[in-house]
Amino acid sequence: MIRTRQLTRRFGRRTAVDHVDLDIDGPGVVGLLGPNGAGKTTLMRLVTGYLAMSEGTASVQGHDVFEAPLKVKASVGYLPERPPLDPELTVGDYLRFVARLRGVPAAQRLDAVGRALERTRLTHRERDRIATLSKGYRQRVGIAQAVVHDPPVLILDEPTSGLDPAQLVPLRELVRQLGADRLVWLSSHVLAEVEELCGRVVVLHEGRVVGDGSPRELARAAGLSAWVELVVDESGVDHRASLAEVAGVTAVERLSPGRYRLEGSGFEASVAERAAPWGMRQLTPRVPGLAEAFLALVGSR
Amino acid sequence: MRRWIAAFAAVAHRDLRVAYGSAGAWVFLVAQLVFMGLFVVSSLQTTGEASLRPVLPNVAITLVFCMPLLTMASLAGEDRRGSLELLLTAPVPLSALVLGKWVAVVVQCGVWLVLTLPVVAVLHRFGDPDVGMLLGAYLGLGACCAAFGSVGLFTSSLTRDPMVAGVGAVLVLLPSWLASALATEAPGEVSRYLEAASFVHHLQAAARGTVHGGDVAWFAGVVTLFLFLTWRSLESRRWR
Repeated sequence: MIRTRQLTRRFGRRTAVDHVDLDIDGPGVVGLLGPNGAGKTTLMRLVTGYLAMSEGTASVQGHDVFEAPLKVKASVGYLPERPPLDPELTVGDYLRFVARLRGVPAAQRLDAVGRALERTRLTHRERDRIATLSKGYRQRVGIAQAVVHDPPVLILDEPTSGLDPAQLVPLRELVRQLGADRLVWLSSHVLAEVEELCGRVVVLHEGRVVGDGSPRELARAAGLSAWVELVVDESGVDHRASLAEVAGVTAVERLSPGRYRLEGSGFEASVAERAAPWGMRQLTPRVPGLAEAFLALVGSR
Repeated sequence: MRRWIAAFAAVAHRDLRVAYGSAGAWVFLVAQLVFMGLFVVSSLQTTGEASLRPVLPNVAITLVFCMPLLTMASLAGEDRRGSLELLLTAPVPLSALVLGKWVAVVVQCGVWLVLTLPVVAVLHRFGDPDVGMLLGAYLGLGACCAAFGSVGLFTSSLTRDPMVAGVGAVLVLLPSWLASALATEAPGEVSRYLEAASFVHHLQAAARGTVHGGDVAWFAGVVTLFLFLTWRSLESRRWR
């Protein structure tokens, strides 16, 4: 659905997006992760046609962004980082305007707006002026404008930025529902959110793709493996040497006094036996999460 | 074409709704009605002429300062609050976007001109105004609104700050006004060039109730040039 080939964007001497190759197919929710200034917003703006590329190509639904921008724009619903709202209008009037702007035929416009309001649970706020809405509701209006024409591709730039926890949960649920029948490509700073919502994550750093896959695949690509956390009573004794002697243990790291990280395989029973006299409290298998994979991919560069 | 018309109409309609929800359109309306009323009363007292001919240049000059109230936020304000990103990522041809915004500005001027019609009744009460001259005056003011609106839209496309856009529009229009004053002092050839650049000069035929092809072409040229520049300015954003 979204294809980029050697997609590059420069602002003067600075390269914001650097030869990015991506193939993203839906339905589903795909994450775009990266530290501040990684080029996430620029990459999304290139795909939506808001910015022109310096090099390379991008296409959405088979339409080239440069050669057929209107066809691309018709098949994309886009929520920029700052929702593009008209505070003077009511929610209903604003969505009717966007539906008209996006080419929804007059006969279907009311239904389209009704569906968008329903999906985003805004029906009861239809007559309220956008200026009077809370940030969470404004964000929902932003998503409603992106889905009002029922596009096959939805691009959401930091959709949950600045929301409180009570607003986050329903919005994440909404994103999950939208991803059931279309491609949702979302950028976020919140690793837990991306891990929860996205089956696939693209990691961008300094304009380049440094990781692409499921969180587990990213961890593997970053050279991270499963490990075991051992917690014993703090006695001031360093048990690293003793643990390293256990068969199957390939690496031992002391995370804090009484807390160790063990790598290897098939050593759990032996370690439990050895650690029992030290007052073993915990022996827990750990799988590297997205946070560790992200830090390994981005932090190492 | 149907798609183009739908996008153009959507932009113009939305801009009109938003305009009357903000102060700019109302300040313009009140200010221009007050100026028109004052100029007409003053003209009746000093010249006794039941006509808009003596007031036309003065009203046009007030438009230099008031039209930016309608245009300054057209694109700069949209950019500042983020809604320009919606317009530029929607399937809307840039030409439909620019023309839709310009028409919304011209319609707001049309509302002002319609509300000035009681002035015509006042002139009828004090004399027998020439209908042709009245029509000419209204056409002249309409032409000024169209031209100044396109200039304002252009300066609004260059910045994110509506105030800068408004001041910019005045600074672009100011030389055209000053050119008429300088033309009277300048030597022959220079005077002709200055007159050609002055909108006041191009209103003279309209004030007399005649339509001069050269004047129509001048105003149409200004509108076309600045709408084209606005379109290019928006297009160039993708590369900036």
